[in-house]
Amino acid sequence: SDQISSPTSKRSSGETQTNRHLETSRRMSHNDTIPLYQSSQSDIDEIENMMNAGFQSGPGSVLPARPPSPIRPSIPVSSSPFVQSNLPPLPPSSSSAAQKATPVPAPPSLPPAVNFGSSEGSKTTGFGSPPNTLTEPVWDTVKRDLSRIVSNLKLVVFPNPNREDPGKALRDWDLWGPFFFIVFLGLTLSWSASVKKSEVFAVAFALLAAGAVILTLNVLLLGGHIIFFQSLSLLGYCLFPLDVGAVICMLKDNVILKMIVVTVTLAWSSWAAYPFMSAAVNPRRKALALYPVFLMYVSVGFLIIAID
Amino acid sequence: MYTLDCFLSMQPPVENYANPNTCLFHVLFKGAALAFYILSALFFNSFVIIFVVTVLLAALDFWVVKNVSGRILVGLRWWNEINDLGESVWKFESLDQESLARMNKKDSWLFWWTLYLAAAAWLILGVFSLIRFQADYLLVVGVCLSLNVANIIGFTKCKKDAKKQFQQFASQTIASRFQSTVQSAFTLV
Repeated sequence: SDQISSPTSKRSSGETQTNRHLETSRRMSHNDTIPLYQSSQSDIDEIENMMNAGFQSGPGSVLPARPPSPIRPSIPVSSSPFVQSNLPPLPPSSSSAAQKATPVPAPPSLPPAVNFGSSEGSKTTGFGSPPNTLTEPVWDTVKRDLSRIVSNLKLVVFPNPNREDPGKALRDWDLWGPFFFIVFLGLTLSWSASVKKSEVFAVAFALLAAGAVILTLNVLLLGGHIIFFQSLSLLGYCLFPLDVGAVICMLKDNVILKMIVVTVTLAWSSWAAYPFMSAAVNPRRKALALYPVFLMYVSVGFLIIAID
Repeated sequence: MYTLDCFLSMQPPVENYANPNTCLFHVLFKGAALAFYILSALFFNSFVIIFVVTVLLAALDFWVVKNVSGRILVGLRWWNEINDLGESVWKFESLDQESLARMNKKDSWLFWWTLYLAAAAWLILGVFSLIRFQADYLLVVGVCLSLNVANIIGFTKCKKDAKKQFQQFASQTIASRFQSTVQSAFTLV
C-alpha cells in the first residue's frame, strides 16, 4: 500500500506547485496551445483515477544493474507516466487531493520552487501546462542537479544524522559528482607528475573507475543488497577527501607532510564509506566487503605520496 | 506511425524546426566530442587533454539529451529511482498523446537520427582504435559509446512505454465511457 499511495502524494504536491507554473507559463509561452480537455470535473477525476490505475500497472521493473542512466535528473514529485496536457487551475487538484488520503511523507528531495523569472525562457516549451518536470525551464534542471551534487556530498562525506540509515542517505544517487572527483584526482596526480603525465592520468582514472565497479560487484557477490549505481556513486563521493589531500600534496612537496595528509584523508575516506558498505552486507561478511575498499583507497594514497 | 515512415524514407519532413536552439545544442555537444576526438590527434600530443575534454563533452551531451532535448523535442523523459524498499525502479514519463502528435516532426526526426548516427560513429572509431591496439583511446571511445547507448536505450524504452500507457488509457476510457452511458441509459429507462 506504500507504493500505491506514494505516487498520488507526489502528484498532489506536485500539482499545487506546477499549477502556479501553469499560470505563469501561460503568460510566458509564446506558442498558444489549444486547451485539449474541455471536459467536466467528473471526467477529470475519472481520468485521474485511470492515470493512477495505469501507473500501477506501469513499467516499474526492478533490476539491480541495467545499462542506462549514469546521470539522473532529480525528479522529486509526480512520476505519472501519462501527463494531462491541460488542467484547469486549482479546484480539481484540491478536490482530488482530498479524495486520496495520503499519509505517506513526501520524498526527501522536493524541488525548489519553479523559477518563474527564468532567463532561459526561449528553451521553455510552449506546451503551457504539463504539471511536472517535462516542461520546466532548463535552468531549473541545472540548478536542481547542482544542488543534488552538493547535498549528496554533504551526506556522504561529512558527519550528519542521516548516516545512521545509509540506504536512505544516498537515495538520490547521481554520477556527476563522482565523475568530477575522479577526473580531478587524475588531473591533480598528472599535474604533480614530472614525467609520463598521460600515463599517470590514465592509470589513476582506470584504477578508480574499474575499482569502483569491481568493489560493487564484490558486495553484490557477497550477497549484499546494494544498487549498482548507488554504490558507484558512493565510492566516487568518498574520493573527495583524497582529492583534498592530493591538492595539498601537490602544493607542498614535503614527504612527512604528505604522509600525514594522506593518512588523515585516507582515514576520512574510509570512515565515509564504512556505514554504507557495512550496512549492505551480512554482518559476518562486513570485513570482506570493507577491506577491498580500504585497499583501493590505500593504493590511491600511495599514488599521491609517490608522485613526485 | 509517421516516425516509422520517416525512418524508412530517410527524408526529413518538410516543416521547419520548432525549437532551433534546442536542436542546435542537441547536435553541438555530440559533434564537438566527435570532432575534438578526431582532430585532436593532429594538434595535441597529450592523451590527458584529449581524454578529459572528450569525456566532458560526451557527458555534457548526455545530460543535454536526457534532460533538455529529450523533453523538448520528443516529450519523453526517463530516470531511475530508488523506492522505499531500496529497490531500483526505472521510471518513464511522456506527454499525452495529443501533445506528442503535435510535436514537430522535423525535431523528432533530427533527435532520433543524430542519436543513432553518433553511436554508430563512436562504434567505428572504437573499431579503429581496437585495430591499432590503442587501449587508452579505446577507453575514451568506450565511455562515450556507453553514454550514447544509454540514452538510446532509455528513450526507446520510454517511447514504447508511452505507447503502451496510451493504449491502456484509451481502452479504459472507452470502457468507462461505455459503462457510464449504459448506466445513464438505465436510469432514464
